[in-house]
Amino acid sequence: MSLFKARDWWSTMLGEKEEFDQGCLCVADVDNSGRDKIIVGSYMGYLRILNPHPVKPGDGGQPEDLLLEVQLREPILQVEVGKFVSGTEGLHLAVLHCRKLCVYAVSETLGNVEHGNQYQIKLMYEHNLQRTACNMTYGPFGGVKGRDLICIQSMDGMLMLFEQESYAFGRFLPGFLLPGPLTYSSRTDSFITVSSCRQVESYKYQVLAFATDADERQETDQAKLGSGKRLVVDWVLNLGEQALDICVVSFNQTVSSVFVLGERNFFCLKDNGQIRFMKKLDYSPSCFIPYCSVKEGTINTLIGNHSKMLNVYQDVTLKWAAQLPHIPVSVKVANLQDLKGVIVTLSDTGHLQCSYLGTDPSLFQAPRVESRELNQEEFDAEMKELQKIIKEATKTQDIVPKSEKNRDVIVTAEVSPDLDVESQAIDSEVKAEAVPSVTVKITIQSRVTVKKPNLEVCVQAPLAVTCEQFVFDDLEPDSSETVIVSVFLKRNFSPSELEGNCVLSYSMPTELFPEGILKAAQCNFSLPLRLICFPAQPSKAANHKITIDTNKPPISFLTIFPDFVDPSEDDQANVLGFQFLSGSKATLLASKTSQRYRIQSDQLEDLWLITKELRLRLEEHFKKRNCKDFTCAFSGSIPLQEYFELIDRHFELRLNEEKLQELLSQRAAQFRAIERRLLTRFKDKTPAPLQHLDTLLEGTFREVIALADAAVENQANIFQAFTKLKSATHLVIMLISLWQKLSTDQVAILEATFLPLAEDTKEMGWEETVDAAISYLLRTCLSKSSKEQALSLSSQLCMPKDTSRLKKNITLFCDRLAKGGRLSLSTDSATQQTAVMPGGCATIPESDLEERTVILCSTAMLPHHGQITKQKFKP
Amino acid sequence: PAGGMGLEPEPLFQAWSYFRRRKFRQCSDLCSQLLEGPHGEQEPDSEYSVFQAAWSLKTRALTEMVYVDEIDMDQEEIAEMVLDENAIAQVARPGTSLKLPGTSQGGGPSPAVRPVTQSGRPITGFVRPSTQSGRPGTMEQAINTPLTARPITSASGRYIRLGTASMITNPDGPFINLSRLNLAKYAQKPKLAKALFEYIFHHENDIKNALHLAALATEHAQFKDWWWKVQIGKCYYRLGLYREAEKQFKSALKQQDMVDTILYLAKVYLRLDQPVTALNLFKQGLDRFPGEVTLICGIARIHEEMNNISSSAEYYKDVLKQDNTHVEAIACIGSNHFYSDQPEIALRFYRRLLQMGVYNCQLFNNLGLCCFYAQQYDMTLSSFERALFLAENEEETADVWYNLGHVAVGIGDLNLAYQCFKLTLVNNNDYAEAYNNLAVLEMRKGHIEQ
Repeated sequence: MSLFKARDWWSTMLGEKEEFDQGCLCVADVDNSGRDKIIVGSYMGYLRILNPHPVKPGDGGQPEDLLLEVQLREPILQVEVGKFVSGTEGLHLAVLHCRKLCVYAVSETLGNVEHGNQYQIKLMYEHNLQRTACNMTYGPFGGVKGRDLICIQSMDGMLMLFEQESYAFGRFLPGFLLPGPLTYSSRTDSFITVSSCRQVESYKYQVLAFATDADERQETDQAKLGSGKRLVVDWVLNLGEQALDICVVSFNQTVSSVFVLGERNFFCLKDNGQIRFMKKLDYSPSCFIPYCSVKEGTINTLIGNHSKMLNVYQDVTLKWAAQLPHIPVSVKVANLQDLKGVIVTLSDTGHLQCSYLGTDPSLFQAPRVESRELNQEEFDAEMKELQKIIKEATKTQDIVPKSEKNRDVIVTAEVSPDLDVESQAIDSEVKAEAVPSVTVKITIQSRVTVKKPNLEVCVQAPLAVTCEQFVFDDLEPDSSETVIVSVFLKRNFSPSELEGNCVLSYSMPTELFPEGILKAAQCNFSLPLRLICFPAQPSKAANHKITIDTNKPPISFLTIFPDFVDPSEDDQANVLGFQFLSGSKATLLASKTSQRYRIQSDQLEDLWLITKELRLRLEEHFKKRNCKDFTCAFSGSIPLQEYFELIDRHFELRLNEEKLQELLSQRAAQFRAIERRLLTRFKDKTPAPLQHLDTLLEGTFREVIALADAAVENQANIFQAFTKLKSATHLVIMLISLWQKLSTDQVAILEATFLPLAEDTKEMGWEETVDAAISYLLRTCLSKSSKEQALSLSSQLCMPKDTSRLKKNITLFCDRLAKGGRLSLSTDSATQQTAVMPGGCATIPESDLEERTVILCSTAMLPHHGQITKQKFKP
Repeated sequence: PAGGMGLEPEPLFQAWSYFRRRKFRQCSDLCSQLLEGPHGEQEPDSEYSVFQAAWSLKTRALTEMVYVDEIDMDQEEIAEMVLDENAIAQVARPGTSLKLPGTSQGGGPSPAVRPVTQSGRPITGFVRPSTQSGRPGTMEQAINTPLTARPITSASGRYIRLGTASMITNPDGPFINLSRLNLAKYAQKPKLAKALFEYIFHHENDIKNALHLAALATEHAQFKDWWWKVQIGKCYYRLGLYREAEKQFKSALKQQDMVDTILYLAKVYLRLDQPVTALNLFKQGLDRFPGEVTLICGIARIHEEMNNISSSAEYYKDVLKQDNTHVEAIACIGSNHFYSDQPEIALRFYRRLLQMGVYNCQLFNNLGLCCFYAQQYDMTLSSFERALFLAENEEETADVWYNLGHVAVGIGDLNLAYQCFKLTLVNNNDYAEAYNNLAVLEMRKGHIEQ
């Protein structure tokens, strides 16, 4: 990836369907005329010498740029220019073929005009090779002055040395498999290559020369092919990867470095084979050339890669990156036509380019997205049309569930008026002799196709149903399904509500989603009181009594409690006894003279269901008579003290739970520690004695199990206590609302305040949520002064140490209500917001009450969500 | 004996040249032809032969075709996370672990402002294999792995896909029949063994055999070849024996400092959830190889994962000083600026990426958002338009629509926002955020029951 591309100075395409590789490009003053030429040889045997001189940058190749083109009859593997001919220091061209090395002199014959100049090559000498050549290097081996010797590496690992016109000697490289790049370092007078063992190896020329003449022995004894005398290596560096190219540079006299371009890393080594620096490349390199030293002590390198990029590094720092039009197989730096530092690159198909670096942006043009002429009216019309379509579509098929009106699928539940003749109760823990049950008939009516309908019937524990879940086959349009379940009391205490509901989840196929969109339908049903209690002898004395005043004369229980009263017994007209299945009793009394009813029981929570039932039945009775002004009232004091006892009981159990959990986690940690010790013992190759660790493990295990059992039992107790607390809370709410004659809205607020949770958990318990909700109300609508309003809430809910604060707040709450406080949420909203914001959305009761703030919170959340999706880059 | 006068170079030379030019398919074909020649035996026996060279070259070519740098390859499966048997303490001390969603230390944007991934790490600007927290569903894949006796670790997820690559490249069956290979014999030939090891490891994905070969070879090299130690470490890492891998890498580093070895060792530490150790290691590595981009980048990633965003950004800037075309660094700095309320600066980074030729849905999506928050409204919609045009799958489309919905909320066009969020849901039906925002819009309209 780069911002810029290499600026094209001159480029041409060489030949057709010819192949080129690393050795095929050479830049040198081959005709000794003082200017660099580009020499290119191809695998097809063509040798070309070029001298680009574009009129303006970016020109293509002109015919006169090609100085010479000859076809040699063998593939050209490598071209090099050096002082290869004895007796002269002039530069000559060495061409390596598979089985032949040729050295040519290149000369120019001047013509009358410039394009009349002719170039010729003249063969100076040639060597036929015994083995297939691979690559070569040259240099003043052994420190000779003014001459260059040639060293050819064969495909089977022999270094063949030629002293110009004569063959000197050949040596096999030890441990050879495939040839690697080869170079000569004049400072150390050694050949450096990367072997198949993936290490850089350096061989001194002297050592090579004085080693036993492996060649002769080879010729006399062909059987020992390849088993030449082991050369002593000067130094070895294990690179761990194959190298593409290797290069020795010394731009100033003091430092000489060996650069190795590996397949994945780029190394710079010292003369003695230690790593000076290395750089991990995140691309596949194809060629490189260290070209100069711009800054003292650093060396600049050009590296071409297979993503068509040319990177310029100063040591390991990337200085420039430019895009190339091709993958370079070879890169050189040339001085052409008085332009210094031209980058010459060659691709394997023969695209030769001379370029320079410039801030020419690589013109990446994102393809245009189809767009039309702006025409406001047409747009408007189209927009309207589209809106209309959207509206239509939303009506018929929408992924967001619609409101309850005209549902396609309706669930109805019908509770039978009588208890089951034969009880359907299973596994009930209730100790009474007969546990009654009541039948609920649930009907699903569907007007459309419904897939995978799944019905769930829920009642709150301690109640239970005979079957909780039903899975049906797909329903056809206009069909219905009916199921029958029975509800009974399962556990040995009274529920806080006599209600249940059933939920049907199904998927409805639409045009867009043939597999269906998940939807749900639900309905509620209420259960008869007879399910949990039966008539009994009334008792006079009781701990708790409450009295409800009405504005109508008392009604005989014979009319309103026909299911509990035996009509033959006259005295039951104003006294009625209830025996709960869980064992406790409650009595209902109607005053003969005044318009009052009294409910009494030994347990506060047992009053609730009876009181509720009484009120409901009375209201229903008067409604039937078309008597609309019937009201109930409560004048006595709210039984707060008894209520607080229930709170304390519940809280105590919660504390107990916390204690148990802590113990459990301690024991579990201990268990794991022992386990880990044991495991390390077993893992050891020489097992040590266990030292009774196993006994300890078993003991801890038993303890853990015992604690877990205790915790489970405690949890059941908490649940029971919470149910009782809920019953009592319902009662208190009802009493407060009757006492203060609260409107329905205010009762709703009251309920939200006191009953925020369906279940309480360790993290969020009833006490702290109710406390927070009440404090909030006390601070807002029930506040006495603006000073109180300013106080902020603590931001987090946590379990309180004791319940005194809660009790104080509840008492205060009742006081304020008694003094005429009104529950309302539409008071001064500014103060409310300041009060709520620190609490955030964490406190559920507030969000239940405060619609305004909910919107605030969630809109405040909006932008964060927005960015969730943004960051997905792929390299 | 004069050389052949044809215009084709020798086949082995040609194959060798193909390999250098990364034309592996041609190279492998040519080697196959050579191997079918008169030396038609399964294993190369003589000290040197054309056959042996061709065999080795083909091995390397096949390996290169499927090569993925082992350092980048890391996918912690859910099975491995759940059944982590290397953890010592259940709860790590603050600042020493990547597993805790963590508290912000560096004064960067708080997690409330910057969204986090499902595993609680901050969203980064760049998708890396290990940050795509393991989705449930890979559990089965991990357990169904037949290759090793230890189902919880080893070849799961991406490894498997790599392994099956070999079947695709060679419809006639595998090139080397591993079960018939005498590994001990090859271990004594270092020139063949290294290529063979890479073939077994990368191409065949047979870690057990690879480890076997490496163990024999390192013994043959008298434990003096750091390369073999690194390879053994890699095998141990794949097999989930992190402590053993650590030992091997450390020993290799003692012999020869190498960037790769440092990276591998750091990877082990990260897997063992010891980011601080990894950081120290990276810093030591930087002393040895100053300015090495991969090391600095490693530090930056760790800081980022530990929620130390500001120092992570510093390191990413160091990366750019060394290599100013580093896409990951640019993207991360860009997103960091975005989340610290500097959309204009973020915009410049993203534009830079665009100029460099990154051209995908995500980039245009980000450009669109930056433009919007930098109040360059004219560009916003066209950026999103392009993002939609470039989206490759429905999830990406959903993301773009979701962000468009935000823009619509921002300009107050609630109708448009409503439609956008709905389109999000059409494209991705379990987009929780879109449901949330739709609900808020409904609430605004007063349709509380909906």
